[in-house]
Amino acid sequence: MAGSNQVNINESRSVVPLNTWVLISNFKLAYNLLRRADGTFNRDLAEFLDRKVPSNSIPVHGVWSFDHLHQTATGLFYRIYLHESHQWRSGTGGTNYVIPDIDKPLSTTEIVPVIIFFHGGSFSHSSANSAIYDTFCRRLVNVTNSVVVSVNYRRSPEHRFPCAYEDGWTALQWIRSRKWLRSGRPNQSESESRVHVYMAGDSSGGNIVHHVAVRAAEAGIEVLGNILLHPLFGGEKRTESELKLDGKYFVKLQDRDWYWRAFLPEGEDRDHPACNPFGPRGRSLKGLTLFPKSLVCVAGLDLLQDWQLAYAHALRRFGHHVNLLYLKDATIGFYFLPNNDHFSCLMHQINNFVNPS
Amino acid sequence: MKRDHSEAGSSYGQQGSSSSSVAKGECSSMSSGKAKMWEEDHDPSSGGGMDELLAALGYKVRSSDMADVAQKLEQLEMVMGTAQEDGISHLATDTVHYDPTDLYSWVQSMINELNPPPTTAGNGTSTPLLCSSQIEENPSRAFTDDSEYDLRAIPGVAVYPQNDEPSNKRLKTYPVAEIGSEGVEEPTRPVVLVDSQETGVRLVHSLLACAEAVQQENLKLADALVKHVGVLAASQAGAMGKVASYFAQALARRIYQIYPQEPMESSFSDVLHMHFYEACPYLKFAHFTANQAILEAFASATTVHVIDFGLKQGMQWPALLQALTLRPGGPPTFRLTGIGPPQPDNTDALQQVGWKLAQLAQTIGVQFEFRGFVCSSLSDLDPDMLQIRPGEAVAVNSVFELHRMLARPASIEKVLGTVNKIKPRIFTVVEQEANHNGPVFVDRFTEALHYYSSLFDSLEGSASTGIGAAPPSEDLLMSELYLGRQICNVVACEGTERVERHETLTQWRARMGSAGFEPVHLGSNAFKQASMLLALFAGGDGYRVEENNGCLMLGWHTRSLIATSAWKLPPLSSGGES
Repeated sequence: MAGSNQVNINESRSVVPLNTWVLISNFKLAYNLLRRADGTFNRDLAEFLDRKVPSNSIPVHGVWSFDHLHQTATGLFYRIYLHESHQWRSGTGGTNYVIPDIDKPLSTTEIVPVIIFFHGGSFSHSSANSAIYDTFCRRLVNVTNSVVVSVNYRRSPEHRFPCAYEDGWTALQWIRSRKWLRSGRPNQSESESRVHVYMAGDSSGGNIVHHVAVRAAEAGIEVLGNILLHPLFGGEKRTESELKLDGKYFVKLQDRDWYWRAFLPEGEDRDHPACNPFGPRGRSLKGLTLFPKSLVCVAGLDLLQDWQLAYAHALRRFGHHVNLLYLKDATIGFYFLPNNDHFSCLMHQINNFVNPS
Repeated sequence: MKRDHSEAGSSYGQQGSSSSSVAKGECSSMSSGKAKMWEEDHDPSSGGGMDELLAALGYKVRSSDMADVAQKLEQLEMVMGTAQEDGISHLATDTVHYDPTDLYSWVQSMINELNPPPTTAGNGTSTPLLCSSQIEENPSRAFTDDSEYDLRAIPGVAVYPQNDEPSNKRLKTYPVAEIGSEGVEEPTRPVVLVDSQETGVRLVHSLLACAEAVQQENLKLADALVKHVGVLAASQAGAMGKVASYFAQALARRIYQIYPQEPMESSFSDVLHMHFYEACPYLKFAHFTANQAILEAFASATTVHVIDFGLKQGMQWPALLQALTLRPGGPPTFRLTGIGPPQPDNTDALQQVGWKLAQLAQTIGVQFEFRGFVCSSLSDLDPDMLQIRPGEAVAVNSVFELHRMLARPASIEKVLGTVNKIKPRIFTVVEQEANHNGPVFVDRFTEALHYYSSLFDSLEGSASTGIGAAPPSEDLLMSELYLGRQICNVVACEGTERVERHETLTQWRARMGSAGFEPVHLGSNAFKQASMLLALFAGGDGYRVEENNGCLMLGWHTRSLIATSAWKLPPLSSGGES
């Protein structure tokens, strides 16, 4: 066992750039300290270790941000990222203060996608103001010329299923109803002025995207597209990829199990539909016509890929459109640093997905 | 369990020199090809520079250290992989973590925890990776964080280790100035978003338009707008309305040039201060975190002297005194120098406070001495006035006092120079986390609007008890008045009258660095206990403690509002107190 540990470490070292390896290994180390065997989570240490950044209405590399606190009791806030070309100014004389003109749309001449982003962290880690996600969202704005709204959903084990989904739903409703997030040409029926909503998420965020999208479709609410970045799905069965890749590229199966136990209702197993939406307790999405098209990105060195591929195939069988982006040599977290081809490939795909021409 | 593990740890350590170098060699040869390729292509800052990509994610690692850090992470992984899970749990519960941004030191400190070097420095487990420059071969101390304490009685006290050496918990120190110049922290500016009611939007628009008119000296327009704002504010419920009213009043003063405002008797301002202490956790947090740092700095000292730059009612010191009585060797001899402004009626307010504290000290068995020192400005202080005695460990404490020095040229330099000459073990500084000292009025105004809106929101959050609002308490009303006076000063005053010149932690770090101070990091134990304190004393759920490069900040949701930092002088120039 010790011998194979040594081999494992060297394997992951050889497939990612050094600084990426350091970053993800650092998270792995920190996360190991935070999960307790009894299922509780060392939230104080987690918050201490998490690197957070404030919002900033001064554009940095062309992107500025601000926070909106929606529910003070739950801490549900949104961090909204905009390109500097969408900067509100009031008053005359070119003074620097910024206040949103909440009645004015983003654009009356073009469509500006609004991407609702759910950060990852296996439902337990990170926040919308975590540095890794703040940086990612900024890059996303630049690449796609969109507005990104990052949702600070409640985390487990303190807040189990369905809290994260509830917060996602709340966020969707709030975003859809903002006049200042609308875009399009108001007098043309095809692209009337409305909020052009996409949803995106990595890991647990991807899982949230799926469930909120189902709820939206059932409620007759239009979401233009789902972007799932190595989303968190699973089940009781052990898939080939889970067994083959267990512990090899930063992730151990037993850790995945811990997070599901922390998120799912107590006593539930991984075939709960939150975890396994198309499994033995799942449901068909056939005929749910309003369910959006999906871009599903799978990392070839992620032990969960069999679940993610099964998800994509199932959606297709139900008649929904899926762009499947399989990145053979990618590990989890490849998108945190723009120092590899997978990153640029992903960004290119996302841009085409939200800006179809 | 722990014992077992440390045995495993040390046996690893003895093999460590050979197996780790084998691993290192293996890693280098296996991965160096690809790793190097990536570094050459993608690493924009080679050599001594910080890795820019990691810096963007909140981690400061020199590119030249990257391989070392990777090595250490692997080392830790191996050790943790072979240990039972319980064996490493103390890393999470007992170990005090510092400054997670500095990955190199953080990882090294955990290696030391699992694999303590021998007590005599420089032998035994010396491997290339442990032999970095200027290391004190100190085992990183594991503070036993006794969280059973009833924090109501003695907020935030940890039991201290037997270990003597209090300073330099870090294995590698990056001088403050260097970090500042390399990873330049860009200024941030918050934005006011008013999203709900229409009147709220119009209110903020009008306030900002008025501020702009004032800046452009269009006083006729400003006058019309400020009256309009007054009307709107009066009909706006909640924190928004209150904040707007204070800002409108302040604007009116500026327009009609009714400044300086009537000086407030310091006794009344102390009363407001006390109500603010009761109504919300900001002052409690400030005192608590500063005391933590002072306690750690005083760990082994037998004679201590605290100099409080703003004694007021001395609310910070009972908790420190009580914490000192819990030291394993008993409390030190304690001397307090309390500084305060001159009293108009010549009553000796400082002595009264000193007397009360002396009585408390007597009750709990601490040998206590007090001296009150009256001065109009801290820049009037000279080191000899403070009569530092040889052999005493000195702490200088400043809670919301330093920013006032920015109102007169050269004052802050004088004060910091004086502190430098005093050669304290530790200098604790708490300041508002905001830039209310910028040169452009409208920018200052907007910053302040956002800052005080968050503050008032948090007060409202603390006060509300659910459905059916209770009438606001006296504490709350007085706190609003307390903050209102600050607002007035920021907005209506100028020159030497404008004393509420708050600056951000980033700005203070630069000043402290220039004045020759080095940071002392507050760690995860202080963080955790501060969080527990909040849970006990804070009414609202929205308060957040945040760690920032060794400093602790308290905020309301995502907005940091106050910051506690601790400083010392570099070893060579500090005097030999002990």
